[in-house]
Amino acid sequence: MRDRVDEIRSLGGELVVVGNGATNFAAAFREDYRLDSPLLVDPELRAYRAAGLRRGRVEALSPRLPLNALRALRGGSRQGSVQGDLWQLGGVFVIRPGGELAYRYVSREAGDHAPVEGILEALSEDAPAIAEQSLANPLCAGIGRALGRVVDPTIALSFDRTGFRIHSLAFRPDDLDVDLSGRRCLVTGANSGIGYESALALADLGAEVVLLCRSRERGEAAAARIREQTGNARVSVEELDISRLASVRSAAARLRKRPVDVLIHNAGMLPDERIETDDGLELTFATHVVGPFLLTHLLRTALEKSSDARVIWVSSGGMYTRRLNPRDPNWKKREYDGVIAYAETKRAQVVLSELWAEELRGSSVVVNSMHPGWVDTPSVKTSLPTFYRFTQALLRTPAEGADTAVWLAASPRTRQWTRCFFFDRAIRRTHFLSFSRESDEERSQLWRACEKACAG
Amino acid sequence: MKVATKLSGIELSDWQGEPVRLGSLWQEQTAVLVFIRHFG
Repeated sequence: MRDRVDEIRSLGGELVVVGNGATNFAAAFREDYRLDSPLLVDPELRAYRAAGLRRGRVEALSPRLPLNALRALRGGSRQGSVQGDLWQLGGVFVIRPGGELAYRYVSREAGDHAPVEGILEALSEDAPAIAEQSLANPLCAGIGRALGRVVDPTIALSFDRTGFRIHSLAFRPDDLDVDLSGRRCLVTGANSGIGYESALALADLGAEVVLLCRSRERGEAAAARIREQTGNARVSVEELDISRLASVRSAAARLRKRPVDVLIHNAGMLPDERIETDDGLELTFATHVVGPFLLTHLLRTALEKSSDARVIWVSSGGMYTRRLNPRDPNWKKREYDGVIAYAETKRAQVVLSELWAEELRGSSVVVNSMHPGWVDTPSVKTSLPTFYRFTQALLRTPAEGADTAVWLAASPRTRQWTRCFFFDRAIRRTHFLSFSRESDEERSQLWRACEKACAG
Repeated sequence: MKVATKLSGIELSDWQGEPVRLGSLWQEQTAVLVFIRHFG
């Protein structure tokens, strides 16, 4: 690259190098390589992110790496070679006055290089501009929707990886082409699984993210990984055990001091025996329903202070199997069944998100729920080992499971919806079977049960 | 949204600590913006 600076100048262009280190690193680098072009530093990766060069996305190693490295080290003729390893390019953009893009190169793997000839060609006056609109391929989207209609009734082929692949054909690429700087996102259960991937994705888009975790140690480890991977320093941890009301109150008192733009109720669990919390609640009811209810209530003012606030409940496909049961949420009257308790509370989450949406109608806060499909997370592996053994190859990755929650949190387009239930970025019905429909009275009972549990 | 529009308003420091608004780099001439990957 350095050898080409004169060629670039003779064609009317100017080379500008952007690096990630601190200013003193930049000065040393400039001297080492005898560079007289401008060198800028971007330690927070703001420009990298804006240019689409997200650190977390770049593949680190590939079989081609040794070959490329050899090629670069060998040097070769002035015509063909680029100073490889020393320059490890993240990306190259040739931008004309007026903002027209004449050349773009994004590095895919360690060791690959931008073809320099392409850059020089882009500097000539009659080089064409690069079309920058990323249009969703309408054919792909159509196929995705048609296939979706075929596989969705099977559930299995819809909730698993195959389903995600099919549905994602219809995703619009620009929906997550956003900069979330200045937006404050809270995620419960964020040290692993879907919560972790949600926090990671939001941090990658530039948001300030607070991981709400039971274990400060695990939370801090997760936050450190996210900061490292995204270059975003605004990732922090608050200790919060969503199943313990005192913990929710204490964390909320600290969190509510500043506006909240996004609140993702993700923390979840599946116990195999009935456990009663210190507040006298059954554990899944406390974790999935009462805790999030209280947290939403206590953060309401902070949410309303945002001009564009979103609350998202991460439910489960299992909710389809159960009808809302507000009469015995603490399992005092029945013999305990962890799977049913789980599914009942997952149904309750969907209803509660609708009730909160109604409560906050007219405000700046939208409330929606979603289900992630069948996802390979630590909870599934521990709680449903047999299911896991049979389905592991077909389970979605946590990132795929988090996708719709991230989309609801981040995309400007999703602001238009409230009181809806989503799966794979599309609104879905909340009942497959008529028996599962609850009455209005039962819905009110749920709200009252939550209020009562919080007061007690 | 165009890459240049997204980058234009971002202000970074140069190697001497002076602020540079990215948009100024391609105001008068074509800029070849090279992002280095191996970070410090």
